[in-house]
Amino acid sequence: MKNHPVSRLLFGVVCFCSYPVFVAGAGIDGDLQRQSLNPLAILIFFLFVVATLSITYWAAKKTSTSSTFYNAGGKITGLQNGTAIAGDFMSAASLLGITGLIFIGGFDGLVLGLGAFTGWPIMLFLLAKRVRNLGNYTFIDVVSERLDKTQIRSVAILGTIVTVILYLIAQMVGAGKLIELLFGLPYEYAVVIVSGLVLAYVTFGGMLATTWVQIVKAILLLTGVTMTAFLVLLQTGFSLDNLFQAATLKHPKGEAILGPGVLFSDPVQIVTIMVSMTFGTLGLPHILMRLFTVSDMVEAKRSVAYASGFMGYFFLLLVVIGFGSIIMITGESQFYGTDGKLIGGTNMTAIHLASAVGGDLLTGFMSAVTFATILAVVAGLTVSGAAAISHDFYAQILCKGKPDEKKELFLTRLTTVVIGVIAILLGIAFQNENVAFIATMPMVVAASVNFPILFLSLFWPGLTTRGAVLGALVGLISSVSLIVIGPQVWVSVLGFENAIFPYNYPALFTMPLAIITAWIISGIDRSARGEVDRSNYYLLLPRSELGPKVSD
Amino acid sequence: MKSDKVRHFIQRRIRRRFLFAGVTLILYFSYALNYTEMGSFLNQRLGNSYISGSLLMYALIIISSIGLEWIFLRTQEEMSSQGDEG
Repeated sequence: MKNHPVSRLLFGVVCFCSYPVFVAGAGIDGDLQRQSLNPLAILIFFLFVVATLSITYWAAKKTSTSSTFYNAGGKITGLQNGTAIAGDFMSAASLLGITGLIFIGGFDGLVLGLGAFTGWPIMLFLLAKRVRNLGNYTFIDVVSERLDKTQIRSVAILGTIVTVILYLIAQMVGAGKLIELLFGLPYEYAVVIVSGLVLAYVTFGGMLATTWVQIVKAILLLTGVTMTAFLVLLQTGFSLDNLFQAATLKHPKGEAILGPGVLFSDPVQIVTIMVSMTFGTLGLPHILMRLFTVSDMVEAKRSVAYASGFMGYFFLLLVVIGFGSIIMITGESQFYGTDGKLIGGTNMTAIHLASAVGGDLLTGFMSAVTFATILAVVAGLTVSGAAAISHDFYAQILCKGKPDEKKELFLTRLTTVVIGVIAILLGIAFQNENVAFIATMPMVVAASVNFPILFLSLFWPGLTTRGAVLGALVGLISSVSLIVIGPQVWVSVLGFENAIFPYNYPALFTMPLAIITAWIISGIDRSARGEVDRSNYYLLLPRSELGPKVSD
Repeated sequence: MKSDKVRHFIQRRIRRRFLFAGVTLILYFSYALNYTEMGSFLNQRLGNSYISGSLLMYALIIISSIGLEWIFLRTQEEMSSQGDEG
């Protein structure tokens, strides 16, 4: 397991498509060849930066209050927000990582695409409307409507900050490595550039600028994958049958790549990945925060439906791109180094494919999209982290919901700068570390801490503050502990021969543990506060289902 | 009387939410069957084509999930208008 390339790639890919943290497992600790400076990629990226900074200049004029900073004034339309959600969640890294997995394992690589997609229909069916109706800026607002504000906010802030910081570390390390690889820029430069640009977007433009950066990025990414898939299908006469046949003829595993078993064979391992991906998505603070940028519950539902449509399209195209890469790259000497390995590692498969079907122009475009993706994702994370500190902690806990508006906005911007500096420091500090386990944690923590308290507070009348707090803490401790004694830390980092816990993604076990704990503790909770929490469910039910106007 | 109607209306909606979520999760986790003994059955090629049942399953799960979302939104609009009338 320790140095197995599939396992390293898998770690990275899960991070990629989950939030989409930018970690290429193979790109983190593998020996990668830095590419020569790509002028076209730099030109396209420069145009992207000019466009997004112009957007930020425009957005900064409209971001004068903390409300507009957190949720863009709630004036984003459903279509815009759906595109921004897709831009926040679906990354060029999903493209690189999943394409790489399909390249080496065929069908098995698709499980991560499916996992990344399926959280979205569930988000629409269960969460979108209720979260929008009960909250203002963060998902923490939603749970604190019903439960004791100070206690549940403290725990939920912990869940948010842990998720955001771990996420940022993985993001920055992956960003540095991948940009080094794609653009030929030194690692530290890449980390500083990413952080500097994100600080400019978020500090001045808040959620409005972040939204438009994510929209532009989503359009670029979808354009890039559409062009690549079209050019692949052009080679196969627009026949999927020809595509798969040619892939089986080229791949060393032959027809085995059309079904399961090349990379994974344990069904429990598959289910652990699926649970972590789906329920982790439902607990990601920066994704949930996007639901508050629209005017009402109808637009919130539309946002999720649009986002789901864009992502479904993206993950379907990955089948063409992944199997196309097998046809176009396998055995082509220009893509292999003197050591016989793919130049840049397996995560470069999609870029090599762009080169094979679209020449320098498409390669430059896809490389620039990759950089743009990192900016969009880090921007979303930074807004979410800043809101947790300035809104949830300062305004709601310290100021009891009555903060000074100017002070809050100042603190929000200050927090943004601090998060940016922390991102640079952590990115550089973890430069030579194996961060695969850090990349796994946010998704598992989100599934085991944030999702259970959010879901139970929305749908279970019996939940009490005591149950929610203890359930969340059990979810947090158990998920971190099982990751530490699992293969990624126990074997890969600490060097033991065998892991105590056999799975990399323990959410299959830790999420139910958190829910059961909350259920038991709430059941035996006879406190006065517990009675208030239970009755609050029924008081809030009409508002959560019908909206504030109707329930009034 | 009116609050009873509202309560029933909300309960219907909640049941519908869980029905759609349940169907989606069943579809999703059925993908894991590919990694059980059923895998060899699901993985068969469709006729003479190189498209396997497993690959088709991947695409169908995504497409049917989007279809379920569309049905959910449409039926919810109808329910809302009925609720408004009620």
